[in-house]
Amino acid sequence: MKKIETTIENLKKDIAAFYKPELQHFMVMNAVDLGEKIEVQWFFSNYAHPCETICFYTLVSPETEIPSIRDIVVSAWVAEAELVDLMNIKVENTQKGFVLEPDFESGPLRKKK
Amino acid sequence: MAKQYEIPIGAQHISLLEPLHFKFTTENEKIVKTDANVYYVHRGIEQACCSKFKFRQVSFVVGRVCGLCSISHTTAYSQVAEKLLKIEIPLRAKYLRMLVIELDRIHSHLLCLSHVAENSGFEALFMKTMQYREFSMELLEAVCGNRIQYDFSIVGGVARDLKPQVAQSIMERLKKFIPQLDELMDIYKNNWTLSLKNKGAGAITKEDAMRLNVVGPFARAAGLAVDVRNETEDLLPWKEVGFEMITETSGDVYARNMVRLRELYVSIRIIENIINGLPESALITETKAFPDGEATVRLEAPRGELFYYAKGNKTQILERLKIKAPTFSNVAAMAEAFTGNEYGSAPAIIASYDPCLSCTAR
Repeated sequence: MKKIETTIENLKKDIAAFYKPELQHFMVMNAVDLGEKIEVQWFFSNYAHPCETICFYTLVSPETEIPSIRDIVVSAWVAEAELVDLMNIKVENTQKGFVLEPDFESGPLRKKK
Repeated sequence: MAKQYEIPIGAQHISLLEPLHFKFTTENEKIVKTDANVYYVHRGIEQACCSKFKFRQVSFVVGRVCGLCSISHTTAYSQVAEKLLKIEIPLRAKYLRMLVIELDRIHSHLLCLSHVAENSGFEALFMKTMQYREFSMELLEAVCGNRIQYDFSIVGGVARDLKPQVAQSIMERLKKFIPQLDELMDIYKNNWTLSLKNKGAGAITKEDAMRLNVVGPFARAAGLAVDVRNETEDLLPWKEVGFEMITETSGDVYARNMVRLRELYVSIRIIENIINGLPESALITETKAFPDGEATVRLEAPRGELFYYAKGNKTQILERLKIKAPTFSNVAAMAEAFTGNEYGSAPAIIASYDPCLSCTAR
């Protein structure tokens, strides 16, 4: 797995420069609760170099709103909506309630303090 | 503009195998917009795997994510754990994992085909396909001990060996299955009524499949040659046992049927090659290490690319486990591919997606 660090400000620019639908395959988004920060990850594979998994990642505080990449990767809305519910993070233009009921406990995958 | 109606299918519906909800906006029976909800059965499995269970127990937990592709989950998890433990499993264990994955693909593809036939109004073909599928369930029971949810792959290797008499039984029953598969191929390919229902229904183009990151038979039916078995040679030697990429071009229900049927011939060949060339070695690599670092694994489940991410912290409990099921990747395309189709074709189109919601919602 090749990890590429990015920032909230550069995320869309970096992914737009990298992602070409005929060359890269978007797999999923993930997040890991590191305590004070959350590591948000975007996983891609490459049709031409099949064994390579590319991971863009950035460290954010839980209150930070993450830009949506759905205008670059159309199908990313599913992964974004899932993370909003399961990790209780904020993603641009994404509402709660896709995976869990809106009144369910937020962020079951976050570490309990 | 004609009057628009909203018609729901699911979450409980006679044509659905699992809880899945589509809300169709229709205009003169044509679907113009679709909303999908796929999360009725969220069970918190990822959370349980990172809090309640030790990393060696997790392979048994993820085996319960899905009844149909249980072996794909246990194998993908075992592989990602082995990467974190930095161990190589014995060659015989790799071959046995591939054997069970292919037997599982046979029963899963036949289940999907039977439901496409049923939802197309061809009840007799549904029953015939299910009848022919039974041999694969019996073989899985003989190899793994269970008809479904087989805890065959474990961290470090496999839990059971293949007995010579079971290997012989697999070869004999596969031989008997080939003419049955030829018969099914003939019906699904040439039956006039079925082709009226399935040709052109729920079609997507190769460009759309790329744009929407579609995986599995759904993508291959549209001409997008993606199959993880063609890609991850480092974990399981698929090409060594005769893997062949199958694609079609029309991207409709008919093409999905053809991809699945043609893949059954490939699965049979792979199983025969595995049994004929099964290497002698131990079944498991023992280690006392704890998972450390992070790793990812991709594996071709019957429905497409299954993805596992794991992060360890040198303790018995994983820091994070992420599961991405094939249907999850196809949700966006599933909603789009209905557009322009007759509402009456929706049940057959849904069945041809082969959606697995217990995997997706996990």
